[in-house]
Amino acid sequence: MLFTNYILSAWRNILRHKLFSAINVLGLAIGLAAVMLIALFVRYETSYDSFWKNADNIYRLQITFTAPGREPNPAVTAPTLIAPFLKQDFPEVTHVARAVPLNAIFIQDNNRIQEEIRITDQDILNIFDFEVIAGDIETALSDNYSLILNETLAAKYFGNENPLGKSITLETRVFTREYKVAAIIKDIPVNSQVNINAMIGLFESDWADDEALFKSWFRSYSFTYYTVKPGTDIANINNKMKDFIDRHYPSNLSGDPDNKPSDEVSLSSLNIKDLHLKAAGLGQQRPSGDYGTIIAFTLIAILILIIASINFMNLSTARASQRAKEVSIRKVMGAARTNLIIQFIGESIALTLISLLLGLVIVEISLPFYNELIGKTLIIEYGSSDIGNILIVALFVGFFAGIYPAFILSGYRPSENLKSNKSAETKASINFRTALVIVQFTISIALFISTAVIYSQIQYTKNFNLGFNAENILLIKGIRDNEVRDKTGLLIDELKKLTDAINVTSTSITPGVYGVTASNMRTPSMAEGKTVLIGDHKVGYDFFKTFGIEIINGRAFEESRNEFEASDVLVRQGNAAVNSMVINELAVRQLGFNSAEDAIGKSVSGMNYLGGDLTKKYQIIGVTSNIYFESLKNTVRPEMYVLNPYFTSTIALRYVGNPQEIIENTRNIWQQQFPNIPFRYDFVSDAIEEQYWEEHGQMTMITAFSGLAIFIACLGLFGLASFTAERRTKEIGIRKIFGAEVWQVVKLLVWQFTKPVIIANLIAWPLSFYVMSRWLESFVYRIDDMVIIALCLIAGLAALLIAWATVAGNSYAVARTNPIKALRYE
Amino acid sequence: MLKMQDLTKTYRTDEVETVALNNVNIDIEQGEFVAIMGPSGCGKSTLLNIIGMLDTPTSGHYFFKDEDVAGYSEAQLGVIRKHNIGFIFQSFNLIDELSVAENIELALLYHDIPAAERKERVAAVMDKVGIAHRAKHMPSQLSGGQQQRVAVARAVVGNQSMILADEPTGNLDTAHGQEVMEMLQRLNEEGTTIVMVTHSPSHADYARRTINLLDGHVVTESMRA
Ligand SMILES: Nc1ncnc2c1ncn2[C@@H]1O[C@H](COP(=O)(O)OP(=O)(O)OP(=O)(O)O)[C@@H](O)[C@H]1O
Ligand SMILES: [Mg+2]
Repeated sequence: MLFTNYILSAWRNILRHKLFSAINVLGLAIGLAAVMLIALFVRYETSYDSFWKNADNIYRLQITFTAPGREPNPAVTAPTLIAPFLKQDFPEVTHVARAVPLNAIFIQDNNRIQEEIRITDQDILNIFDFEVIAGDIETALSDNYSLILNETLAAKYFGNENPLGKSITLETRVFTREYKVAAIIKDIPVNSQVNINAMIGLFESDWADDEALFKSWFRSYSFTYYTVKPGTDIANINNKMKDFIDRHYPSNLSGDPDNKPSDEVSLSSLNIKDLHLKAAGLGQQRPSGDYGTIIAFTLIAILILIIASINFMNLSTARASQRAKEVSIRKVMGAARTNLIIQFIGESIALTLISLLLGLVIVEISLPFYNELIGKTLIIEYGSSDIGNILIVALFVGFFAGIYPAFILSGYRPSENLKSNKSAETKASINFRTALVIVQFTISIALFISTAVIYSQIQYTKNFNLGFNAENILLIKGIRDNEVRDKTGLLIDELKKLTDAINVTSTSITPGVYGVTASNMRTPSMAEGKTVLIGDHKVGYDFFKTFGIEIINGRAFEESRNEFEASDVLVRQGNAAVNSMVINELAVRQLGFNSAEDAIGKSVSGMNYLGGDLTKKYQIIGVTSNIYFESLKNTVRPEMYVLNPYFTSTIALRYVGNPQEIIENTRNIWQQQFPNIPFRYDFVSDAIEEQYWEEHGQMTMITAFSGLAIFIACLGLFGLASFTAERRTKEIGIRKIFGAEVWQVVKLLVWQFTKPVIIANLIAWPLSFYVMSRWLESFVYRIDDMVIIALCLIAGLAALLIAWATVAGNSYAVARTNPIKALRYE
Repeated sequence: MLKMQDLTKTYRTDEVETVALNNVNIDIEQGEFVAIMGPSGCGKSTLLNIIGMLDTPTSGHYFFKDEDVAGYSEAQLGVIRKHNIGFIFQSFNLIDELSVAENIELALLYHDIPAAERKERVAAVMDKVGIAHRAKHMPSQLSGGQQQRVAVARAVVGNQSMILADEPTGNLDTAHGQEVMEMLQRLNEEGTTIVMVTHSPSHADYARRTINLLDGHVVTESMRA
């Protein structure tokens, strides 16, 4: 009976205060929806590779080369030579396996399709619990003619037939051999950085003809996975890596006699579950997540939840004060305080549950758009713990939002509230509400500022003068492939004939790609043994023209001069030719020349830092301005460009007209020459965009969610303002009777909400400044800190305007009403 | 001071039309003390509201100091009201969040009077109604009679020439009612015009003239001997 009475009373209350209830429910629903969307994303991103049985004890070994004067160059892989020593040196290590990525062409009948497979040690089976569907995976890796496929590949090559025992020919860069399908494994889930489609056994003898795969300490070719005994502290192994490197490395990277190998090479291990979010280097098997983003979004979700809960709490307490009479009457009728507390918390929870339902509807509607934005396929699993979890959050919010008004209300003494002419609001509860509004606006303003700073930085990088013209350049990739390399010259000649092609060149570096090849260079005037590390880039004719790079002194390479860089083979044979090179302004300074002009014609000698032992002679023929091919997160470095098309990897083509047409035309030319090799292309402008993709993605999401946060805060403010205006109608009536004009009343009401917003600004500004200036530090080229200050002011003004706009309409309506109306119903 | 000619007020709500005042003709001179009586719902408050320019007549003329204000806008009425008329209500209508002194000061707040002068005038009027020792108290800490004294102070602090009181003693006991009536009488003797609605014949006796209303009509006007 009592219970139905509560429900009835709750329901009538919701209906009676439609505006409040609607704002309450809507605000919380949007808040919960945002939290659910973020939670789905965060959960997905943090779920990577946690499904392996032994996940806690699986680690990946990663190497970082730090050449003197260059930034550290972290890789997610490691040289193949290291793995055998791991088990030998560390008793904690139980299994070690290498997985070397390999591009192999699968030849079946007359079809040739390139697939990326892995050459793996058999021990990998003791590390990862692959789900075997058919065949014997153990024996499959114990010989060098068996192939393991995942379901997708098995279906691709054999359809519905049983693939076991069937053969397929694999063409690699070293051999072509027939393999038999010996086992089929289930596809590895998408939330994994261990992306293995197919495996063949690793036998070093197979690769004897490869110049570096199993010979180099400085080229990191393999993913190296290992397991440790349960309970092992990985820090112990990481700490011992310095000694490990000095024990095993035959030399350091730079050849500098003062440096130990461990000064230039470092090894670290990352737990398999951290691969997705915490791996720093290049070469991830699937696009990496970003730990910072996860933290940022988790934080935003919490902030949104706080804002939405505050709304809920504020509006509930506000409304509660209007129910003082109900409470008093119930008390007179014998209700105990606990009864009332249960009643109010119950009501609060009921509203939260309605919000939750609405929130779920919002999530379902917005998920497709959201998935498109973040490039994932997230879903709510109704059967799983998802619903339970969000229900707990909602109940938690409902409980805490209801508890304050419940205690306030139930504490009223009936004698006070049955007197007609008294406001049921205490100063304390008004102050409490104001404090909550300050919290909401602090959060909203801080989010606003952060969004604006990120946006400004992105605009800044977009407008930054990169030193070259990134528009209208098509890149054609993969010309390093043996089959293509010899015909690159022909290909370029064909491309030049296209009417829309202005310049065509080939290059070893392209914008947006991290370049690492560098050489130790010295001039005769430098001290003995001293060298400067300079980025060593191979280019074709017209490189500078194609990219629109300015030659500030001297000249570019000219076809009439035949100034190709001598190959290592020729130099070994005694070719002592002086090679031409173009350097950038920074190299001019680092090599010790006074000016670009001064550098022209000077001699420089050098050798490649990747373990080379050849000294080549160069003469500087031209100087370019500094160009920014890499992300502005990296600083510009000294660079040199030599004419050596043989070692270029990409063709660059400057075009006019329709990009789609130029793609089709180049594709046709490519396919005529290389019918078996896929045509791969990119645009320079896209490659540059991609570097900032992470920031763009973050940007869109942060903008959306901070917009939401601000909206929810305003929704609350609107509810509160209308409540306050209602509460103050009598006062407003009296003021009007005694001469207040409409604008004076509006000012009074609006000012009430101005103070908290101003205080919120004063809290949010220093907070945002601190956080955002720290964020900006990750960029070498970044907007000035003054910009943050300007954005703080703008955010403050915007918050005020938004708050005013939210409150003003209602205030105006209230201020306009005839005062006798306000006083009639006393 | 004011003169009403054929003044009519009708309220229209959802098809129902209420004639609250019907062809009312009234003259009130400067310095008069007028009581308005009549049964509940006969239009007393309506009349007082129109006199106080809180409401406008549906038809007829209303001359205030020889100015026909019947067709004036709310803003125009506001200006005249603010400089001429003070109000006292049955339920006091003090602002709960403001102290006694602040409640009184409110009536000066919208008058372009410097703060120092406002303080002086508030202090003076509090002395006059004998509430000075309660200046810092909140309305909830006062008895009804004290609250009504604050309301009287608020009504006169702006040197209003006319005070309109709608059942000022309605919520008070006999003794406190008496007190308020004496205060009004004193104000009247000092020259303030007073128009008061009351149900109490004995309180009506303080007035020199009584206007009786019935169903929106003026039925009798009696002068005290
Ligand atoms: N705003 C309004 N809308 C509709 N009708 C109204 C309005 N104000 C007053 N009335 C009606 O006009 C008539 C006169 O009301 P009024 O308040 O002037 O009576 P009153 O004489 O002051 O009564 P009481 O002694 O009870 O205060 C009543 O019938 C009332 O219902
Ligand atoms: Mg009345």
